Formats: sequence, structure tokens, C-alpha cells
Amino acid sequence: MLGNGVRHNLTGYLAVLSGLFMMADLYLIFMVAPTDAVLGHVQRVFYFHVAIAIMSFLAFFLVFLASIAYLVRRDGKWDRIAHSCAEVGVVFVTLALLTGIIWGKPLWNTWWTWEPRLTTTLILWLIYVSYLMIRSYAPNQQQAARYSAVVGIVGFVDVPIVYYSVIWWRSIHPSPVVGPFAQANALEPIMWWILLFSFVTFLILFSYLVAERTALRNSEDRLRGMRLVLRRVGR
Amino acid sequence: MMRLLRPVLILVGKDILLEWRSRDLLVSVLVFSLLIVIVFNFALNVTPQRVTALAPGIIWVTFAFAATLAMNRSFVREMEQGGLDGLLLSPMSRDAIFLGKAFSSFLFMLSVEVALLPVFGVLLNFSVLSLTLVLTIALATLGFALVGTLFSAIAVQTRSREIMLPVLFFPVILPVIIAAVEASSASMGSESGVGLNRWLPLLAIFDALFLVICPWVFAVVVEE
Amino acid sequence: MPIALLQATLPPANLPFLFAAFAVTWIAFFGYAFFVSRRQQELRKEIAELRGTLDQQGSEDAGQGFSI
Repeated sequence: MLGNGVRHNLTGYLAVLSGLFMMADLYLIFMVAPTDAVLGHVQRVFYFHVAIAIMSFLAFFLVFLASIAYLVRRDGKWDRIAHSCAEVGVVFVTLALLTGIIWGKPLWNTWWTWEPRLTTTLILWLIYVSYLMIRSYAPNQQQAARYSAVVGIVGFVDVPIVYYSVIWWRSIHPSPVVGPFAQANALEPIMWWILLFSFVTFLILFSYLVAERTALRNSEDRLRGMRLVLRRVGR
Repeated sequence: MMRLLRPVLILVGKDILLEWRSRDLLVSVLVFSLLIVIVFNFALNVTPQRVTALAPGIIWVTFAFAATLAMNRSFVREMEQGGLDGLLLSPMSRDAIFLGKAFSSFLFMLSVEVALLPVFGVLLNFSVLSLTLVLTIALATLGFALVGTLFSAIAVQTRSREIMLPVLFFPVILPVIIAAVEASSASMGSESGVGLNRWLPLLAIFDALFLVICPWVFAVVVEE
Repeated sequence: MPIALLQATLPPANLPFLFAAFAVTWIAFFGYAFFVSRRQQELRKEIAELRGTLDQQGSEDAGQGFSI
């Protein structure tokens, strides 16, 4: 039970740390970051959108690593971690898409453009969703863990291939709009720092959410085990 | 390598024999593909001016959907007849089983495509006698077969098998579709030949990569 | 450190987008964290109940002389 108490505290600390960083991040984004000359204040979405998008890719990398670890070690711990990273990751990538779309309208005057980064993010979202679907449609827990690990590995290997395919494709069919980084003004150093801070903020938020979800997974597994015992004993 | 060849050939031979006896899957997939092209013709308003631009996309969407239909049905049939369990109990290595199934699917889809190509050539007004087009079709279909067989093995075990295969298959196979469309487009002459230099190698690399990865993870999928 | 001047020199039509982006982000994260926490509490309660039942079973069976 000591392990549980420590883990509970860790989650609590992460939550508080996450909140503090988020407040600092918001301050930096709104009070310190310079206003974009061309786009105005709406450009500040950039600090959230980019950090969340990068975090969602990192999350899938973690799913990839945890999936490999699970298939090699067959330790349930890795399955729990992979699952939690995937679920939290899907929240992140959904937000990356939504903020991208919301930012896209004032930026390009269109809700969507099939440019490489956005397109790859959409494909990543689909792969995440297929990962979670496999988990819920698999006949039992063991197969769910195995199949989703396979999806996590194959999916991750595929993402860079998708990215470069779309870049090559775009070079043949150029987009009528310009990419989000090709702004009229290059990024000033302060913007890079704030972006970095933003990324750290979301990294901490990610860790907090994964910690919570892993704990929940732990409880779910424990409950399932207990129900199994009860069924065997109680009858 | 040679040790793998014999079991694979036996498996492929068995699948071909099975399919040839009834030919029901072949006919269904052919009819299905034809219907898709016809629907596309109306949906995209294919005029003689636009047909060259639209043809590659139409062909590859059709082939991709036909592939998912074919592989899904093939695995479901395999499972219903208990064939997969039988294979797993035999001394065949998992690699051989995977390669056998993948190659059977590859040959099946290739025959469908070869049968359809002249028809598409007429409907969509392009020449089928193009070596690069044939090469594109072969490489892309191999990619479909490798990824599709792996994901079929997973999908067929789940509750929602009809939807699970497309959901798993399409995001991963996207680069193949992009490359196939662009390469077909180049070989049909609507774009300049520069397209082939990058898309055909991309297809080849994709196939090589998944030729290595898929058998390995297949063993994980079918383990008991 | 550069100080930002929050002037209203831009078309106000863009601020709703700014608001929407941040609002959606916060709602999503808060919502997810909230639901995970709540589910976790529910499960904790259920586990405690089940543990009570299991202990009870154990003592009953022990009384009857069975060994599990």
C-alpha cells in the first residue's frame, strides 16, 4: 500500500505543477509575447497549437516504445502505460487538429488545407483511433494488449513515411496557401523561448494525465481480477 | 530462404485451388470494382477533358477498396473453415504462413487488376500497354497484400471485423496510394516523367520495409 | 524583455478564433481529467466493497473448513 500512496502523491504533485506551469505559460503567451504585425493577437494560438501537436507525436512515440517493451517483456505494466499514453495522446492530437483548424481560418481563410503537417496529424489521429478501437473490439484483455501493441508499432513506423509522401506530393501539387511556419515575419528569439516553455508545460500536463489514466487502468485491472476471483469462489 | 519457399508455395497453391473451385470471391470483387468505377463516373462528372486527370485516382481508390474486400472475405472464410488453426498447428513457421497468405492475396488481387485493366482502359481512356503502369500496379498491390494480410489477421478476431480492416488499413497504406496515383499519372503521360523517379522507389522501399516487419509482428498476432 | 502592447489595431473578427482555440483546449483537458478522476473514485469505492465481500467469503469458507 506504500506504493499506492506514493503514486497518489506523485499524481497530486504533477497536477499542481501542471497548473502552475499553465498559468505561467498563459502569462507568457498573452503578456510577454509580441503581437504579430500581420495576424494580430490570434497568432498567439501558435504557442498552444505547436506545443500540443509536438506533444501528440511524442506521445505516440511513447506508445511505440511501450508496445515494444510489452511484446518483449509481456509485463502488464507496459500495456497499461501504452494504453494510457494512447488515450491521452488522442486527446492531444484531437486538440492539435481543432486548434489547427481554428487557427487556420483567420490565417489562410480556409478551415483546412492538405499541407504535410496537418495531413500527417490527421493520419496520426486515425491511427490513434484505430489503436483504441482495436482495444475495445478485441475479444479479451490479452488479445487487446497484443493487437494494439502491433498497431502501435506498425502505425508509428508508418507516420514518417506518410509525412514524406505528402511533402513530395505537395511539391507536385503545390498548395494555394502557405504553411503555418512560413509567415511574413520569421520567429523572434523570444517566441522560441515561449514556445519551448509552452512545450514543457504540455509535457508536464501530459505526464499528469498519463499518471491519472495509468492509475485508473490499474484499478480497472484490479477490479477485473477481483471479480474473477469472486466468480470462482462465490459460487 | 529455400526452407521458406516450399511451404509458401504449397500454401499459395492451396489457396489458388480453393478459389478456382468456386470463384465466388473473384466474381464478387470484379463486380464490386466495376460498380465503384461507374459510381465515380457520375460522382465526379468524368468528362473527356477531365478523364486523364481523374483516372489514376479512380483506379487506385477502386483497387484499394477491392483489396480490403478481398482480404477480409479471404480471412473470414479461412477462419470459418478452421483453416488458420490448422495451419498454426502444423510445423510451418509463422513467417511461412504469413508470406503464403500475403502472396496468395497478392496473386488474387493482381488477377483482379489484370482483368479490370482493359475495361478501365476503355472506360477511362488510357493505354494499358505501359511497362511503368504494370510495375506500379505490381509494387502497390504487394504493399496492399503485406499490410492487408497482417491487419486482416487482427481484424478477423475482433467483434467488428468488416469495419476494423479498413480502419487499420487505410491510414497505414496512404503512402502507397499517393505513390501509386502519382506514378500511374506519370506513366499515363499527363505529368512529366520526373514523377516516376521518386514514386517507384518509394513503393519499393515501402514493400521492402513491410516485408521485414509484417512477418515478425504476424507471429505476435497469431500466438496462443 | 519586450513588452506587448495589447492594442486594438487588428480586425476584431479574429479574437473569437483566439478565444475558441483556448476555450476548446481547456474544456478538453479539464473534461478528460475530470472524467478520469471521477471514474477512478467510482472504481476505488467498488474495489473496497468487493474486498469487503471477499474477506467475508474467506471467513465464511474458513468457518466451513474449506480451503481455497
